[in-house]
Amino acid sequence: MVAKIIMNIESIKSQFPIFNQKTPLGKELVYLDTASSAQKPQSVIDAISGFYSGYYANTGRGSYWPAHQATSLFELVREKVANFIHADTKNQIVFTSGTTDSINKLVNAYALPLLEAGDQVLVTEMEHHANLVPWQEACKAKGAIIKAIPLNDQGELDLVAMNELLIKKTAFVSVTAISNVLGTVNDIKSITASAHEAGAKVFVDAAQAIAHKTVDVESWQADFIAFSAHKLYGPTGVGILYMADNLVEEVNPLAYGGGMITHVGIESSGFRNGPQRHEAGTQNIAGVIGLGAAIDFINAIDDEELQKHLESLTVHAYQALVNIEGVNILGNQNAAGVISFTIDGIHPHDLSTFFNERGICIRAGHHCAQPLMQKFKVSATARASFGVYNQQTDIDQMVSAIHEAKAFLL
Amino acid sequence: MSERIKELYQEHILKKSKDESLKGVVQNETHRLEAYNPMCGDKFTLSIRVNQNRIEDARFDGFGCAISKASTALLTETIIGKSLIEVAPLVNDFLELIDEDGNRDPEMIFKDDQLLAFAAAREFPERKTCASLSWDEMKTLVNTH
Repeated sequence: MVAKIIMNIESIKSQFPIFNQKTPLGKELVYLDTASSAQKPQSVIDAISGFYSGYYANTGRGSYWPAHQATSLFELVREKVANFIHADTKNQIVFTSGTTDSINKLVNAYALPLLEAGDQVLVTEMEHHANLVPWQEACKAKGAIIKAIPLNDQGELDLVAMNELLIKKTAFVSVTAISNVLGTVNDIKSITASAHEAGAKVFVDAAQAIAHKTVDVESWQADFIAFSAHKLYGPTGVGILYMADNLVEEVNPLAYGGGMITHVGIESSGFRNGPQRHEAGTQNIAGVIGLGAAIDFINAIDDEELQKHLESLTVHAYQALVNIEGVNILGNQNAAGVISFTIDGIHPHDLSTFFNERGICIRAGHHCAQPLMQKFKVSATARASFGVYNQQTDIDQMVSAIHEAKAFLL
Repeated sequence: MSERIKELYQEHILKKSKDESLKGVVQNETHRLEAYNPMCGDKFTLSIRVNQNRIEDARFDGFGCAISKASTALLTETIIGKSLIEVAPLVNDFLELIDEDGNRDPEMIFKDDQLLAFAAAREFPERKTCASLSWDEMKTLVNTH
């Protein structure tokens, strides 16, 4: 039997400098909002500062020393990303400023010119606004129809309903891999298979999935995948848009400007092949370097151990919350690292303010998923989400704060 | 329990947040205000009857956190019977009361304990929009009337 590497949470947590300090109210920080944005390990911070202080220059342009080093490390990160999501080649990896930017650019550059009146675009009832509104606007502009694949009461996608919707000519199916509210894990492989059979292109929002190390280009077979560095313990302002096969050249440039051209005349210009075709202007080089360090950080943790860790935290939270009177959990305990709940008589914002006094950070609100809120007939929920640095004691502290909040606020 | 939080959720606010005596719609409504915060989803409707520049009656409905509910209930209660000219400075005073950069001490602004309770919002700037939600709409009404 092969010995498993057991995650040492204390040692992992010690790599995150934010936890070395107290909150302004003198409390230990209990960070339960990783689904919104993950904290940063020292190695990511050092990589960014190392770039600025050690070898700063623009990439892809200068033929001098720091420019060479900056360019080669920048391109090395592209390769790390490709390996991380099991892409065939680094040429399928386009840098953007984040998941939202990836979706907007893709919709504008590719979907908008392609959509025809009467075409159908399928999203789901659990999409983040970022993977809904850009599609809505494109459909509006082209007279296309947008429809949502419904969810069951457990917050799972109704794949039978999806297949019925796919009978109509569908140009795109755009779906999240993991719900940012419910933590529902969607079966991307089978969604992609059905969508492709119906002739639709598939976009996957992997913003939540990326930190679970479950994004797998080979298994998913999706046409486009987007995610952000900041949810993967990396810096803000960097995102990825993966494009399958020859789509990198088929998609119109995501943006126009310097660095993406082959030649430029007054009336027309030619554009490069490869990911550089889509990366106009100076890139967020420091952010990309930081993303490289974040991938190194997460790669040092065994995939299976990481998933088990996040799963055990979710189950622990579910079991603790389900027994508290007045607590209603959205979705089920198969959720991936996220649990959303409401408490009868206590608004999530009051709960969140109450938690803050104890150093506990949760998210309260609609989580940029208003259609999902409507589906569950709530205006807002409290959401706790977990990262590599969380322990069961963090959840226990949240649970005891819930009891205290109930005693005080009700 | 911290003193800060006790201050914010002191009895006046918690009690007022559960006070539904003015919930509903007025008869012969002349004005309807929608107070909505798209960032959090809190939403209140104020139903008002104005006659000869005087607010004869007002009611509210909607959903939100304890702070936004209490401040909406208190606004409704406060404006009934007042002229729009009287309401205008009152709204400005309340918005100063909850503003962390407010010039005057809370006690210089209001004497009423229920209103003064909201001064605690100065300590919680992230909750200021909860306290101001309906009052901001009322400000627009009195300024444009």
